[in-house]
Amino acid sequence: MGVSISIKSLSFTYHNSKQPAIKDINGEIKDGEFVVIMGHGGAGKSTLCYATNGIVPRFYRGGEYRGNVYIADRSVREFSISEMAKTVGLVFQDFEAQLFSTNVELEIAFGLENIGLPRDEISRRIDRYIDFLDLKGKRLSDTSILSGGQKQRLAIGAVIAMEPSVVVMDEPTSDLDPLGRAGVLSLAGLLRERKRTLVMVDYDPDTPVGADQLWLMKDGEIIGQGRPEKYLSDEKLLLSCGVMPPQTVSLFNRMGWEGSPLTVEAAKDLIEKGNLVKRRNQRKQKDSYFNSNNFFIEARGVYFRYPNSGNDVLRDINFGIKKGEFIAILGQNGSGKTTIAKHLNRLLAPTSGDILIDGKPTTRYRHNELARLVGYVFQNPDYQIFASTVQEEVGFGLKTLGEDHKTIKRNVAEALAVTGLEGYEHRSPFVLTKGERQRVAVASVLSVKPEVIILDEPTTGLDYQHQRDSLEMLKDLNRKGHTVIIITHSMWIAEEYAHRCIVMKDGKVLDDGETRSVFAHEQRLSQASLIPSPIVRLSNWLGADAMTVEGLAEELKSYESLTVSG
Amino acid sequence: MNLSLYQDKDTWLHNIDPRTKLVGVAIIFIICLCFNNPIYMAVVALCVFFIALSARAQKALWTLRYILLLLVIFSVLLWPFFTVGKTPLWSWRFLRLTKESLFYGIAMGIRLSTFVIAGLILLSTTKNEDITNGLIKMKIPYPLAFAFSTALRLVPTFVGAGATIVQAQVSRGLDLESRNIISRFGKFIPLAVPMFISAIRYTNLLSMALESRGFSPGSPRTLYYEPVMKRRDWLILSFMIIVLIACLYMRIFLNLGVVMSGRL
Repeated sequence: MGVSISIKSLSFTYHNSKQPAIKDINGEIKDGEFVVIMGHGGAGKSTLCYATNGIVPRFYRGGEYRGNVYIADRSVREFSISEMAKTVGLVFQDFEAQLFSTNVELEIAFGLENIGLPRDEISRRIDRYIDFLDLKGKRLSDTSILSGGQKQRLAIGAVIAMEPSVVVMDEPTSDLDPLGRAGVLSLAGLLRERKRTLVMVDYDPDTPVGADQLWLMKDGEIIGQGRPEKYLSDEKLLLSCGVMPPQTVSLFNRMGWEGSPLTVEAAKDLIEKGNLVKRRNQRKQKDSYFNSNNFFIEARGVYFRYPNSGNDVLRDINFGIKKGEFIAILGQNGSGKTTIAKHLNRLLAPTSGDILIDGKPTTRYRHNELARLVGYVFQNPDYQIFASTVQEEVGFGLKTLGEDHKTIKRNVAEALAVTGLEGYEHRSPFVLTKGERQRVAVASVLSVKPEVIILDEPTTGLDYQHQRDSLEMLKDLNRKGHTVIIITHSMWIAEEYAHRCIVMKDGKVLDDGETRSVFAHEQRLSQASLIPSPIVRLSNWLGADAMTVEGLAEELKSYESLTVSG
Repeated sequence: MNLSLYQDKDTWLHNIDPRTKLVGVAIIFIICLCFNNPIYMAVVALCVFFIALSARAQKALWTLRYILLLLVIFSVLLWPFFTVGKTPLWSWRFLRLTKESLFYGIAMGIRLSTFVIAGLILLSTTKNEDITNGLIKMKIPYPLAFAFSTALRLVPTFVGAGATIVQAQVSRGLDLESRNIISRFGKFIPLAVPMFISAIRYTNLLSMALESRGFSPGSPRTLYYEPVMKRRDWLILSFMIIVLIACLYMRIFLNLGVVMSGRL
């Protein structure tokens, strides 16, 4: 087998930066291998990806580049990016910016036109790859009507239609819902079957299971490189790289059980074979727990459709939210999660039906009144950051609401303290990391002290450690009396933090109840194409109540002590 | 939501060569410049409007109805005060209104909206790539043609980002509901800064993605949708050129369609 990618003591320092983004990277990837790269935010994963086709250093003038990357014995430095495109296909996280054609077939054709293939060959390749991408019947569709998952698959297809020997994907699933993610991963599986060399940056400990190599990155260096099984069972190492360890491994470690199962199936096998713990019948979960009438927010028969559009995005939504709840809204993209959330502070108003806040319809409030009741943090903090200092940014809402100087100062200080941004007052928000910018966005909504705070996918693009930090912060806010509503694609986040889950599907509420009971019904969740996290699947299988690794370990230990004493 | 103007339909205008459409739009522009009599202009506008209907571009027209309306209103209100005709209608201090200048204003309003409608017909019936390919076939250098069509392509993207930014700031208390124009202007910065930053980020990423797909402006490339001039295209073009010559003849030699001579 030939060597596909060879990296020799590669370092790169961006212009105006003291620390190198990647330091002394070495590695060798053989033809047809599948390599997964994991690491914390800012570990240098993207920089490494960009170095494979020459974006680093060519796009970043003034940077300091040392070492070499060889793709099939060709030194990347010596070729232009467009020249390298013939051998290396690079797929980015942001699927919107990667698609620039009017329809699907032109998108696939773009790269092929660039390398000057004859028209009939282009047409043959489109035929071949459109099937492969599972986009048949969409050949002439406008790319903007595709779902996120389809868009990312198309972006990958547009790259692989050029038939490069190496495909590099930089977090291709981070912005996708679970269904879209599954589609992209199955596409990656097909690529492996076809013996393409595949390098993928990802965050989920499931992805490297079965890969040929796992590269763990920390602060620009590779601190683990080799067979995935070896590293995936090392909880401490993974955590130090900001990677979530496989929950099944964590559970086995905590229980002191032999073995490090990487999947739920493997864990079940080990438990059954070793007779480690007895399965029980799952306690019946109470299905509904809220029959109250002092709701702070109430949706009554809400329908919504966009003007000039024929179909309802929301259909007959009814629910009530009490003060102090912590709610997760789950569902695929396009299921209406964001649409219903935007109704709660009247960024959108129902076509029919009512949203009541404190008993009064949202349409009878002014926007700036609502801002004090319901705060909304958008998914992308860059859509709201504009000020030159963090302090000014966070105080903006208060200033426009006409608060006096003293109140602004006090509230800003409080908001910064809660979000862990003390000492950042005079820094520019633009130079902060993504995680920090996200916090600034949360702080800028918090400073107004809304009763309810809604966060649209607050953890997208953050590494495990930062996800934990943000959620602990939200938990703290919730404990102080704020109602928290998050929209999320991460099942473990909903399981661990939300008291209640609302599951949306096709504009309707599919399920609404206590988190434990929602996640006990795996069948019903699968109707919304959702799958509980490994630990909850295991917990359901064992007939346990817990939804976290710590919780399940404790619960299982309490069984043991019961059997011992009994 | 799809914000692009292109309507994927199957009309005669969708099927003709992009070059025919590009030249056709240029000819309509020149015809518009021939007349400044509102009646003549109205005839031209009506023809263009019927072409738009036959291209099923109503939806795109409807999207831009406010712009069209504003163009007409402002032209009719402002033009008359900057041109001077012979027959006085009304005067107050230094403001003077004449019959000719009023007609001229109306004609200008119609002319500007005809420009917009003609452009809209092009955009709603022609894929972005076809515009690029058409321009390339007309010997426009590729980088220029590509830049032009990419600029058109980015408009809907930025409009979408703009809408999100407005929502993000409104939910932080930015009050865009107040009627005061001056205080509204001060609210521009919280919208403009994220807009610029996200546009810069987006274009940077876009250029990385383009090069990663083998795009390089100088080198030869295949056109997957190669435009082909058919008999139909030549017929349409000949017809339009005849109309153009007729209009030029009417204006230059017969001095028809003019309420104010010496002006376009």
